[in-house]
Amino acid sequence: MKNPKYKLSNAILFLLFFTNFLIAQSDFEKVENFKNRYKQIENSIKDADGLDDCFSIENEIIKLKGDFAGDIQLLDNSLYPLNFNSSINNLVAALETRRGDFSQISDLQEEVIGLKDRITLLDRQNVTLLEKIKDLEDLHNKDAAAIQSLQRLTDQLRSNLRKKDEIVVGIIDSLLAEFVSHPFVLNDAERLSFDKKIEYNNLFYNIDRTISDNIEFIKVSQLRADDLSDLKEKYNRFSKTWKQIGPKLTEMYLNRADRTASLERIDAKFSQWNYEINTQIWRNINSLFKEKNIKLSAYENGKEFTDRVTGFIEDEIKNIGIKKAAESENIYYTFSDTLWFGQIQPNWVPILIEHKMLEESQKDTIESRIANWKAQVITEELSVWVYILGIVVLIIIVLGLSSIFRKKN
Amino acid sequence: MKKYFLITAIIIPLFAACSSLTLKPVNFGWPLENVLKSDASGIVEEQRHSLTFNVVPLFQAEFGDSANADSKEIRLIRNNEGYYFITAMGFKNVYMFSAENSSLNLEKSFFVINEGMQNPVLNQRNTYIELIEGESIYEITSKGIVKR
Repeated sequence: MKNPKYKLSNAILFLLFFTNFLIAQSDFEKVENFKNRYKQIENSIKDADGLDDCFSIENEIIKLKGDFAGDIQLLDNSLYPLNFNSSINNLVAALETRRGDFSQISDLQEEVIGLKDRITLLDRQNVTLLEKIKDLEDLHNKDAAAIQSLQRLTDQLRSNLRKKDEIVVGIIDSLLAEFVSHPFVLNDAERLSFDKKIEYNNLFYNIDRTISDNIEFIKVSQLRADDLSDLKEKYNRFSKTWKQIGPKLTEMYLNRADRTASLERIDAKFSQWNYEINTQIWRNINSLFKEKNIKLSAYENGKEFTDRVTGFIEDEIKNIGIKKAAESENIYYTFSDTLWFGQIQPNWVPILIEHKMLEESQKDTIESRIANWKAQVITEELSVWVYILGIVVLIIIVLGLSSIFRKKN
Repeated sequence: MKKYFLITAIIIPLFAACSSLTLKPVNFGWPLENVLKSDASGIVEEQRHSLTFNVVPLFQAEFGDSANADSKEIRLIRNNEGYYFITAMGFKNVYMFSAENSSLNLEKSFFVINEGMQNPVLNQRNTYIELIEGESIYEITSKGIVKR
């Protein structure tokens, strides 16, 4: 009995008994104790990392229910607007929701691992393809084999990018569908669940990388009008999806500086992607003019393009009579028939108008100026013919009169 | 006869309108005591039942005029009859108040212990308020206090 260890353990036992006695006798303390344990379990559900955690939380709920079974009436009266059973039911329901998230995440995780492998493979292939295309593009004298090889590599890269885009857009779409089914503000558990899905899908990296690859592809490839139209459509689709999910993600990650920075970087990448496609379209159109020795100042949008083209036409109209007629005619026919009505209007103008890079009214302005130019050039042509015809008629008259006079003499 | 009938017909409804309406029985009891902390001005606020009052006069009554009621914890419960019972750590008494005209009026105070209570607890029981102080348990009603 005199053993100090024994004394200490007795003291601790007494203290525990005494404390329990006090807690057991105070209704207020009992209710506070229940509320605290309820809150702890609620937080554990939010912070659960997996199905194992859910299992131990389930045991905590069972223990809570057992520990307070003798105080149901007190808790029913005190937990307004809840009662004992509804409190326990709330915890069970929250735990089931969380467990459902983990089951879904576990299924998704397997699917994502497969997708990740495919994305990694496509990324590697794309890097190699881009390098090969660059090397071939840098060749000054491309022979037929090189050109064919370049075409083949470009097609392969295009196909790879399409596959990867589909995977990434698929991931965004699945997240978007879940967001749409939660039109209101997300609670903490839902926020956490989405965050985990985004992390498992490596969403930000994949979107960033996909856009970068597309930009690089535009930079290194020789693209035709229909290629660029496809790219522009792809951009619009991707961008529309991002505009639906982006603000929701911004709201979700309002307090996460790293995530906010990623979102801003992706927004900037989308702008750059759009800029690169537009620049490439204008550059391709301008190369058609250059091929025909028609020099126009740089332009980057529909208004500038209209101004440059109409400016050129006005200058050519002013030059009628100064330049040789044949030269003026030649420029007109090259510009109007070969370039505008031969290539730009059928191939590029529909793309420009469809993607709002050129307005119908701007196209009409250009075509009315071309018509005006034609009228002026053709007038000059006619006046020459009238002049020649006049001389011919005059010669005929002179010859006719001289033959009449000869006959009379 | 007609005259009496008319007078009766007028007077009877007047009596009916003046008679007071009483709803009985009423149980005012709170299931649980509330532990409330006063602010710097000695005001405590009970949120569930929207009750706010000043505890400075209570502390002065218990400890004298120089008593400080800043950040003091009180324990408050209402019994089934509608009386409020208040006590606190260090109090010798439990105070019973009734509510009337924007005030809590002291009805009775129940002496518990001369040294002041160390850890008083108030519980709602069917017919009384239970006061626990250490190992002692008391039953308090509007009529008095009994040590169990």
